[in-house]
Amino acid sequence: MLIDSLSTGFGLFLTPLAFGLTLAGLLFGLLVGALPGLGPLMGIILMLPVAIGQPPIAAMGFLIAIFVGGSCGGSISAILLRIPGTPLAAATLFDGYPMAQKGRAADAIGIAITASALGGLFGGIVLIFFAPLLASFASGFAPPEYTALAITGLTAIIVISGGSLIKGLLAGCFGLLLATIGTDEFSTGYRFTFGSHHMLNGFHIVAVVVGLFAVSEMAFQIMGSGLTRKPDIPVVRANFSSILLTLKHWTNLLRSSAIGAFFGSLPGAGGVISSFTAYAAAKATAGPDEKYGEGEEGGVVATESANNATVGGTLVPSLALGIPGDASSAVLIGALLILGLFPGPTLFEQQPEIVGGVFLVYLASNLMLLVAGILTTPLFVYVLRIRKSHLIPVVLLMCAIGTFALQASVFDLWVMFAFGVIGILFRVADYPLAPIVIGAILGPLLENNYRRSLLISHDGHWIFLDRPVSAVLIGINVLLVLGAVWFALRQGKKRTGEDSGFDQASRAPEI
Amino acid sequence: MTRKHAEWLVLLIFACVIGVVFQQIATSMTEQGIASGSPYDNAAAYPKAVAILMSGLLVLAAVNVWRQKASGPRVSMAQLARPVALLAVFACYLLALGTLGYHLSTPPMLMALLWVGGYRRPVPMLIYGVGISFGLAFLFEVFLKIVLPGGIWHLNIPW
Repeated sequence: MLIDSLSTGFGLFLTPLAFGLTLAGLLFGLLVGALPGLGPLMGIILMLPVAIGQPPIAAMGFLIAIFVGGSCGGSISAILLRIPGTPLAAATLFDGYPMAQKGRAADAIGIAITASALGGLFGGIVLIFFAPLLASFASGFAPPEYTALAITGLTAIIVISGGSLIKGLLAGCFGLLLATIGTDEFSTGYRFTFGSHHMLNGFHIVAVVVGLFAVSEMAFQIMGSGLTRKPDIPVVRANFSSILLTLKHWTNLLRSSAIGAFFGSLPGAGGVISSFTAYAAAKATAGPDEKYGEGEEGGVVATESANNATVGGTLVPSLALGIPGDASSAVLIGALLILGLFPGPTLFEQQPEIVGGVFLVYLASNLMLLVAGILTTPLFVYVLRIRKSHLIPVVLLMCAIGTFALQASVFDLWVMFAFGVIGILFRVADYPLAPIVIGAILGPLLENNYRRSLLISHDGHWIFLDRPVSAVLIGINVLLVLGAVWFALRQGKKRTGEDSGFDQASRAPEI
Repeated sequence: MTRKHAEWLVLLIFACVIGVVFQQIATSMTEQGIASGSPYDNAAAYPKAVAILMSGLLVLAAVNVWRQKASGPRVSMAQLARPVALLAVFACYLLALGTLGYHLSTPPMLMALLWVGGYRRPVPMLIYGVGISFGLAFLFEVFLKIVLPGGIWHLNIPW
């Protein structure tokens, strides 16, 4: 079945459009990853309106390649500027920047790209073998299991990603309510439309995401200093000898990739946690002559292979269950839904060629990263010289054109603007934005299956505890929430002076 | 403005959202007959359940904010000036887009944003504004077949 899926997927992938868009997506991903303050999520969001006008595999190739390229691109600015382009590359600067200081910037970038590509390929193998297994296991799921699964996806992201539990839950509930706007699928009644025909289908998810993340991010960027300063960075050319340098650390590479793929498959864990964990593991197992933190190649190998393997791991629950692992995969699921494809076991059963095509574009984007990433390094060094004052207007214009292009609607632009303002306020108040998007995407899955469960139930809500898988998932949710409350209370006791309650656990920045 | 002020504002937004949910259930949804009955007909039960959960969380969050001793660093009005100006320029752009169209409203918006970002050289600003505007229009209209707003004069370039 796997071979059939991949061979039929080949036909969809091997078109000039799909291949070209995968390459374009990879280069664009590297670019947004390299530019501090942007990153893979922003890249996917900016290009989402462009992608959804394309055939499914070409569109997914474009977006997944942005995810792959963006996860690696942050290492370039971490190594050259000591500013990680994305939080994913924060651990890369521990050894990448000292390597550059020692005159080995080209080696460091080459190793970062190679380790990212090889880690990504490891994640691809995990994806290809585990996603069909998980989908096959989930094929027996009925509405109660899907209801419990949707709650687990949302709760896990809120709890595992850290930060305030209450704020995360409030943001998630806000997302769930956003998803209820428009025409109800069961009764065909109108909910929260206020008599406006613009609201009959609810807010377009892309307009919401662009506003929340991109517009608010630009407002924050413009508050910074040195907007008109042009960074003075020497041109660096990586070369293919860095592949051999990376392979010298093959045990580290395999271990870090496995850590990355594992954390990726857990909703909420993500690339930041996996790259720091892989770095810690590499440091703990280092020999006496390896000086981590002073320009050790192994440090770059560990962090970069882990954060790109995370992408493959993240796609496992996203494709097999329709449960996103992080904000980027939530937007990818949103793109699939807009393209008329429903991630989950049904996709694996009814459209295996799409699944095979997605697997192939993921593998291809990592292979392209290895070649194109090394060859085009000087280009991204030039891009780092762009003044922020010139970058912000272009990003905002792309947000506006892209959002308008969705439905040729000025209303969508105002939705984007309104959510931009909400995003700014949420960021200032330290509310996470990812649960809103994940809530908005999981909302229909949750509500529809919840109502279906009650329709088929003879005992009302007991149906969720009568069925073993659903009961286990509900139990996991209860444990997750209780664990988070216990952790927050312990943190609260340790703290003196500052804010109280659940608000203090540190949260990885959203990417 | 401090983080505490922002937190109160966010809680106010949530309170308004919860209020709207209950108001709509009591009025519009009841009038449509979708606020009661079986799970198939009752479209109000789920948003109501989420709103009730949100209300509980809102109370806990409010207690948390109220108990906060330190309210974080204060953001001065000078710091807020740039993001507020950016939003104002962007809002004016969205207003102008429908009337003037993309080609007339975009270059001034880009130039204004450059100015907000601290860039002050007029000729490069003009070249940047016009160049980026036309470049992106070309990409979107020619390659992606997207018709950008022409405004009341239907100003679209037949590339």
